[in-house]
Amino acid sequence: MDIATALKRKSLFLIHIFIILLLPLSCGKQPDHHFLKIGLHEEPKTLNIWLASDANSKKILSLIYQPLYLRDPETLNLIPWLADGEPKYHPGTISYTVRLKPAKWSDGSDVTSKDVAFTAGIIKEFRVPRYYSSWKFIKRIETPNSRTVRFYLEEPTAIFLTRTLTSSIVSTKEWTSIAQSARAKQKPLAALINQKIEKPVGCGPFVLKKWQRGTYVHLEKNRYFFGLRENIGGRILGPYVNDLLFKVYGTADVAVLALKKGSIDMFLWGIQPGYIDDLKRHKNIQLFYSKKSAVYFMGFNLRSPPFNDVSLRRAIAVLVDKEFIISRILQKYGTPMDSIVPPGNQHWFCSDVPRYGEGMDRNHRIKTAYHILEKAGYTWEEPPVDGSDRVVLGKGIRLPNGQLMEKFTILTPPADYDPHRAMSGMMIQEWLRALGMPVLSRPMAFGALITQVKGRHEFDAFILGYGRLSLDPDYLRNFFHSANDKQGGWNMSGYNNPEFDHIAEKSAHEMNQEQRQKLIFKMQKIIMADVPYIPIYNPALIEAVRKDTFGGWVETLDGIGNLWSFCLVKPNSGKTGQ
Amino acid sequence: MEIRRFILKRLIEIFVIFFVILTVLFLLFRLAPGDPVTRMVDPTLTPEDAAHLIAQLGLDQPIWLQYIYYLKNFFTGNFGISFHYGVAVFSIILNRLPNTILLFSTSILLSAFAGVFWGKIASWHKGKKTDTWMTLGALICHTLFLPWLALIMIWIFGFNIGWFPLNGMISPEIWMDSSSGFWLKFLDVAHHMVLPLATLFLIHFGSYLLLMRSSMLDTLKEDYILTARAKGLAEKVIRNQHAAPNAALPVVTSVGISLAFSLSGGALTETVFSWPGIGRELVFAVSNSDYPLAQASFLLIATVVLISNLVVDVLYAYLDPRIKY
Repeated sequence: MDIATALKRKSLFLIHIFIILLLPLSCGKQPDHHFLKIGLHEEPKTLNIWLASDANSKKILSLIYQPLYLRDPETLNLIPWLADGEPKYHPGTISYTVRLKPAKWSDGSDVTSKDVAFTAGIIKEFRVPRYYSSWKFIKRIETPNSRTVRFYLEEPTAIFLTRTLTSSIVSTKEWTSIAQSARAKQKPLAALINQKIEKPVGCGPFVLKKWQRGTYVHLEKNRYFFGLRENIGGRILGPYVNDLLFKVYGTADVAVLALKKGSIDMFLWGIQPGYIDDLKRHKNIQLFYSKKSAVYFMGFNLRSPPFNDVSLRRAIAVLVDKEFIISRILQKYGTPMDSIVPPGNQHWFCSDVPRYGEGMDRNHRIKTAYHILEKAGYTWEEPPVDGSDRVVLGKGIRLPNGQLMEKFTILTPPADYDPHRAMSGMMIQEWLRALGMPVLSRPMAFGALITQVKGRHEFDAFILGYGRLSLDPDYLRNFFHSANDKQGGWNMSGYNNPEFDHIAEKSAHEMNQEQRQKLIFKMQKIIMADVPYIPIYNPALIEAVRKDTFGGWVETLDGIGNLWSFCLVKPNSGKTGQ
Repeated sequence: MEIRRFILKRLIEIFVIFFVILTVLFLLFRLAPGDPVTRMVDPTLTPEDAAHLIAQLGLDQPIWLQYIYYLKNFFTGNFGISFHYGVAVFSIILNRLPNTILLFSTSILLSAFAGVFWGKIASWHKGKKTDTWMTLGALICHTLFLPWLALIMIWIFGFNIGWFPLNGMISPEIWMDSSSGFWLKFLDVAHHMVLPLATLFLIHFGSYLLLMRSSMLDTLKEDYILTARAKGLAEKVIRNQHAAPNAALPVVTSVGISLAFSLSGGALTETVFSWPGIGRELVFAVSNSDYPLAQASFLLIATVVLISNLVVDVLYAYLDPRIKY
């Protein structure tokens, strides 16, 4: 026999043996309905709550560490979670009293008011990024008894209710020794955030069972969860599943196949519209469409010409066809935005703002923009609207001072980072060129873009977005208050309006929600009149789950992957984790 | 003596090159726009908090001072702590590298053996149908787009036929079960490895086949092959014992270098198959300015590439007695 043939036969024989050995692995696994299997786009980076900045780590930690108050999924109002009842305000001392529910940490020790004070102490002492801004205004905390906390504020601060009281609380027992050793280091914050947390101690519905790095995260039901079988917010909480299993799916294609095959029950990441038709045909898959607390916008550099002219910004706002972007680029899965506050944030969203170009066709937009600019003193070598009111290609636009408009750039993230924003930039480029503006849309690496726009202020215009805006609209103050117009500050456009600053400061200290709402509405109106940013769209969040295995998902702003869902989801077989 | 002198000379060269790489890596990351905090697009992160974090990470120091700390840390075996994972980069690399080596080295060795074997056959049948089909097949495999092939493999063998898992390296159900023994776990990893391995095999196999075929065709023109024929040796003996070992030298070089580079993994393969390797970490570290993780990973790759180059050079001398240093 020829050597090649012999080798081939041997190889084939070995391959057959190997496949025979492996096949039982494919057939032998039975789905366990008490295991809720969730696909993640990326592995969580850390379970250290003070370091976690990626969405997946935060999502898992939100099931372990709990806040005092939580948003109701329907009304988005704050309801007592770890707290027992509403916070009581004492205007004379600018203090709030919060009672705690009887609760235990996952190690069996009691959750006490000392833990709340300890959490505040850690955040303030170490200046923990992202948390510090929500706690720095707390002068002191008293703990009259183990279940009562009194917060003394330096001055009335609106975000106390919406951000401080919704921050997670950590266990004194877990963090005391870590904090102590961090204090002794030359760089205490670095030591704190670089502490490896193997078993986070929380009081939430789940605790970490095992994290097999690179492969899966296994959470199991916390038998000490304070909400177990309790009625909170009109819902009898579980969890009704014993185990959560988070698995990583690097691409949406494979995650969708896994969902269809039943390897996972849910993909905890938005699904692109391209998959919808395919998933709709699958009888065991249910799709959820939610609004996001997000805004994608075009911003201008108001520090220098030509964008320091409000007429030009308004004209561009008219030219930007949001409906077109949503129908063609977002494939109709999105909402056009007319204010910086997303429409899903019902309490704070102001609908009474100028709506530039709404309902206009292309020619109408060009004519309106042309008239705005003409009235402001802009001239053209060849105007975009000719003598007989016909739209033609505009050329040679000149600023009111007679200078030819210089070529400018719209910076966008690259298409591999976000195709929607890159494509929107190209569309806007074409619309502006129709009016004779010498514009170029330029995709740029995200880090470089942020450095140029936020760090150096070297830009003309840009398209960016905030995918996870807080539900408290205090970000309006961050984005547009003149005090934040500094390198690295969030007022990237360099917007400076004393009237806005005054209202923004007032809103930051207004503790009456209705009064504050009026101020926030006013701020939105001012911003939309001055258009330092043109809000463009709010993309829909599309999520898919298996409906044959689990049900009871709770829909809210930002989708079904929320704490309520994980407390209420039940196996469809009728069995529940006891 | 000569080979020792050669090795010593190469080691000195390697040290110099390594030092240059060390410096270039440091500068590349520091001079690139952005820093680890830049990508935190979170309005609750004030510029003051961001500056505080930057200072705590030691990135507020002048570049030259950072460079001195970097060298000092490196030569004391301290590769630093990942900005995003908050753990020593050494432990991250240690966690991911074996997975990458397992998958990529296996695929390179398998495809090299298959490529050498079939390349030898193809060259022996030059101009015949066997050669035409093999060369065509190799060219097609060589030019396949890896993510596309990976998805097709998953779709056919993972989703439709269901023989293999869609992705990952292990089945949590098996690994969480305390009754699962070593062999079951071993088979589980092997089961998960089949699709990525097959994909990588198909991609690499073609290039080795073509390389071997071309090298073999040159070798077959050599005088010693004519001599062997004149001595009346059997064709198979001439092919397998005289021509093939000499023709395999370029493949050895290629395998050596590929094995070294396999440490960097393949971000695309690892992403599509959710294989927990170093390739994805490397991409993450670079795109998120996680300097310690990116630097340590690149240094590891550079070290292995440099050493494997030396090993290949030395190996050459043993494989081909005509080569003298």
